[in-house]
Amino acid sequence: MKILIIEDEIELAKDISSYLSGENYLCEIAHTYLQAEEKINLYNYDCILLDLMLPQGADGLKLLETLDHQNNQQGVIIISAKNSLEDKIKGLKIGADDYLAKPFHLAELSARIYSVIRRKQFDHTNLLTQNELTVDLLAKTIKVNGNVLSFTKKEYALLLLFLGNKNKMISKNAIAEHLSGDIADMFENQDFVYAHIKNLKRKLTDAGCKPYLKTIYGTGYKWEM
Amino acid sequence: MGNVSKLLNKPLKAFTLYALIILICSIPVYFFVVDFIWQKELDEHNNIVKERIVENFKLNKTSNEELSKTLALWNILQPGTKLIKAGNSNLKPDHIYTITKTGNFNNEDQKDRFRILETYLKINNNTYFMSIETNVEEADETLLAIAIVTFLFFSLLVAGFILLNKKIAKKIWLPFQNTLEKLKAFDLNTDKSIEFSKTDIEEFEQLNQELSKLILKNISIFDQQKVFLENASHELQTPLAVIKAKIDSLLQSKNLSSDQLHIINQINVPLARASRINKNLLLLSKIENHQYEDKEDINFETILTESLTLLEDYIIDKELSVTRSFENQSQLFSNKVLVEVLVNNLLINAIKHTQSRGKIIIELKNGVLTVKNSGKVPLNKDRMFSRFLINSKEPSNSGLGLAIVMEISNRYQWKVTYNFDLEMHLFSVAF
Repeated sequence: MKILIIEDEIELAKDISSYLSGENYLCEIAHTYLQAEEKINLYNYDCILLDLMLPQGADGLKLLETLDHQNNQQGVIIISAKNSLEDKIKGLKIGADDYLAKPFHLAELSARIYSVIRRKQFDHTNLLTQNELTVDLLAKTIKVNGNVLSFTKKEYALLLLFLGNKNKMISKNAIAEHLSGDIADMFENQDFVYAHIKNLKRKLTDAGCKPYLKTIYGTGYKWEM
Repeated sequence: MGNVSKLLNKPLKAFTLYALIILICSIPVYFFVVDFIWQKELDEHNNIVKERIVENFKLNKTSNEELSKTLALWNILQPGTKLIKAGNSNLKPDHIYTITKTGNFNNEDQKDRFRILETYLKINNNTYFMSIETNVEEADETLLAIAIVTFLFFSLLVAGFILLNKKIAKKIWLPFQNTLEKLKAFDLNTDKSIEFSKTDIEEFEQLNQELSKLILKNISIFDQQKVFLENASHELQTPLAVIKAKIDSLLQSKNLSSDQLHIINQINVPLARASRINKNLLLLSKIENHQYEDKEDINFETILTESLTLLEDYIIDKELSVTRSFENQSQLFSNKVLVEVLVNNLLINAIKHTQSRGKIIIELKNGVLTVKNSGKVPLNKDRMFSRFLINSKEPSNSGLGLAIVMEISNRYQWKVTYNFDLEMHLFSVAF
């Protein structure tokens, strides 16, 4: 799947690109408004990451408007340092699918891309299948070998984060932010993550799912396949 | 402000005191002047009497016998003058003096003062001694009269001062009062400029002009500072984002030793803190820059419930017992984001600073939200809402949570208070 990263911060674009490339995404980078415009007109992408503040004061929202006129299946995620409510509302109104404020964890971005692409392109099925595990994005249910499991909201969110970041090391911090959002930043102690992971692991293995979810001691967690 | 009095009362006191001193000093001066004039006039009078007598003797030539008869009669009938034949024939110089004696008549106690001229005359080649006495007003009577009059005038003076002072104060200080009222109502946070009314008093006009300049300068500095803060925190977001992405990328490298992984995790801690502080600074500057202006009806209970759900994990993790009591459905017309931030910050503050297995009590009644949490020692009331006050050694404290609560409350004129009672910290916001 093809991703366009519109981001003027070269290092950030590079890191996003290399992180996502491991996820079977093909990434292209545009650092300026013109480059982005050119690429959008020439190619189709599954997902576009759009930084609102581009060099020479170019406004990423304008780019979003052109995209919308093309009205295709491209998903758009705004990544902005501004974190302003107006921009968020405006962006989502014009046609963005999601909004992520900087600074973010790459795992979070990857999970968002994962669900945006699925929302956009698999309207009719909305099913994620991985061996014995099936997640219905619309009904928000999880099945293992055809049996429906009961999950809390947070365990479900956790599972989606892992499915969007297969074989990636995810730090406890990134998980906490995924579960609690902005509030996670306000606390030093993120130990509650253990409890959710433990429950998720137990429920999956109890239902006969293979132990994909690994704890890497002192560092984080990994969904290994 | 116990010892503060109105400006115009100060000169009034001084003027009154000065007038009193001058008037008191004037009393003896008046007295001496009046007495001096009295004596001079009486001396003149005595001299005139003497000259008339001498003249009369010259014109009416009388024999010595006749003269002594007349003199005997004279000395009886004319109490003010005496004319006696002198023993020796030498003419002595005139003698003028003042005596005080009891009156000749019925009233024994009445003492009178007299101015006396003693002189020697030559009549028919005989020397005669003559004394002329004239009653002078007594010194104490003069003094008393002058004092009474003086104090009468002094009272008039003071009464005049007070009346004039009041009248002048009302009129002259009106522009000053106007300026003062405007300054009192001025709020750097909300007002864009200040308009003073024109006045025809030069000093006040100057004051107003200088104040206007000062305020304009302050507003501009304040605006610059706000813009700077917002720009600075915006600018910081990008490098923070890069560092965060770099660490995430680094974590993906194969063959990292456990020491290296440990270090990477250690970087995450201060990084999270930097991004937290930056987020809070950004939020503060946004509130200051009036970026949350829309208002809507807000159900307080809903917001509290949402906030508690959001914080659920942290509450469970610390095994805190949370009690909530809502006395009545509380509606509020305000900005939803800001109210959420306020409630979140109060709760986060309580969760962070409560010991494990501690208590948190949330109460909402009569438009007052109270968040209590168990604690050991009271905190510094005066400084706790200021920015970057770190109370505990806990590094997760961005020092801005309560400052944000304060900022939001100030915006809507809500009253925030802190108390410590029965081993509980008690924060309350009156809406």
